[in-house]
Amino acid sequence: MLWFKAWLETRWRLVFLLGSTLMIWLAPLWLPSFGLRLPPGVPAARLWMAIQMGSVLLFIFTAIFLAGSGINTQGAYTFTPGFHGSMLFTLSLPISRRRLLFVRAGLGALQTCILVVIMACYILHLRPETTSVSQAFVYLTRTIACTMAIYALSVLLTCVLDETWHVTGAFILWTALFLMQSKFGWVARVSPLRGMSLNCYPITAPIPWAPIVASLVFACVCLCASVLVLQRKEY
Amino acid sequence: MNDIIIAADGLSKSYDGKPALRSLRLEVPRGSICGFLGRNGAGKTTTLKLLLGMLRRDAGTIRLFGEPINSEASSIAARRRLGFVSEDKDLYPFMTVDQTIRFTRPFFPGWRRDLEEKYMDLFQLPRKKAVPKLSKGMRTQLMLVLAMARGAELLMMDEPTSGLDPAMTEDVLQILADLAASDGTTIFFSSHQLAEVEQICDRVCIIDEGQVVIEGVLDDLKSDYRRILLVFDGIPPRELANLAGVDHLRQRGRTASLLAHGDVDGLVERARSLGPTSVEVRPVTLKELFLDHVRGE
Repeated sequence: MLWFKAWLETRWRLVFLLGSTLMIWLAPLWLPSFGLRLPPGVPAARLWMAIQMGSVLLFIFTAIFLAGSGINTQGAYTFTPGFHGSMLFTLSLPISRRRLLFVRAGLGALQTCILVVIMACYILHLRPETTSVSQAFVYLTRTIACTMAIYALSVLLTCVLDETWHVTGAFILWTALFLMQSKFGWVARVSPLRGMSLNCYPITAPIPWAPIVASLVFACVCLCASVLVLQRKEY
Repeated sequence: MNDIIIAADGLSKSYDGKPALRSLRLEVPRGSICGFLGRNGAGKTTTLKLLLGMLRRDAGTIRLFGEPINSEASSIAARRRLGFVSEDKDLYPFMTVDQTIRFTRPFFPGWRRDLEEKYMDLFQLPRKKAVPKLSKGMRTQLMLVLAMARGAELLMMDEPTSGLDPAMTEDVLQILADLAASDGTTIFFSSHQLAEVEQICDRVCIIDEGQVVIEGVLDDLKSDYRRILLVFDGIPPRELANLAGVDHLRQRGRTASLLAHGDVDGLVERARSLGPTSVEVRPVTLKELFLDHVRGE
């Protein structure tokens, strides 16, 4: 029944993200009614590139947002520092902390994957050129793998920080990584942020194994670290 | 079958170097209702959290149901046999009453639907109502349903009646007393309400500054301890404090008040030899025992 609890506590996040995504996608339909139009002469490919770059931010936000509502943020009625709310009830149940984390993180990862697949498919649909099934598969694989790295780090942050700070902390860390990409070549080669971006790894290029493998390894390390943190943490 | 349900020995816990529990020793026999008393910050909640595995102990041993609690697996096995009611009675705000019950039920193979129905009917809890819309009293009732329907052998409760009105408090206490009497459930609860403890508990454990200062069967404690009031012509002699059996001495003017245990008759004889003008021996209340031990008056 842990999945039931995880679903109930995250369902509105999923609905919010789906709604937000829909709003963004439908923007081309309703923006012209407000008099907002593309400047003449902007090529479709450039516009599409801008959309898919923007979608990277959406992937990151999705992963970070869906990792929330962890055990650290189960303050049921008040948000006084140190007040744990329903956490005491959860921890009094005969469940291991590892199981608590895996069920919650597993459901969140599944929700993240579903949203990423929907968003990524829409981006490929908007692509001016034709995309083959194998190209789409490679793009989806690397996007999911890289998003999982972001998601897993957020899960780790939720084990040590409260709701507000885990979002802020995650954005700070990924901004720092983004800045490091331009300074260090090796960081750029394995960065999940680059792995998600189509202009860094064009869709016709071979599979970018480095960011995929690095992201998956990083996600595993983060999840293992989360288990260790949760098992050692006192409530 | 082990007759000691909770056994803690040498239990110590510090927060940032500040000791919260200091070599605490505790024993709660099966079927008893044990009141766990102490001032704010005495270490009651810390003890409960250590027993439930929410905190790690610095030193000492814990045995629940006769089994040592030294790993997460042993703690989980023990938690399967107990119910816990936290002080704030916080449950999931995103669930209804019914969802909370359906969520909790599968974790306990011994869940008793008959008890669930019985207490739901007794408390008249609305199954479809969302948890945040419940009053604190109703949340307490829901937590009690969750704790009792699982067929728990042990109920651990942190201030179970805090925030309840007197009528509800009386109902809850009655249910706890019935549960111990009918099912043999062991009840261990912390409280500030001495009257409640005196009403339903057969044992008490008073802690102060992380240590047990007095523990035992309530009736035995009440019969062992006596208040001896001595009135002197002048200032009471200092020797009173050194008499064997005197736990605490309180002086006010020409009057000395002794809390004594053990051979009270012998103590009275020795006190008479110091020349008081009057001697009165009175039984003690739990409140007196508590205040004398935690305030050292």
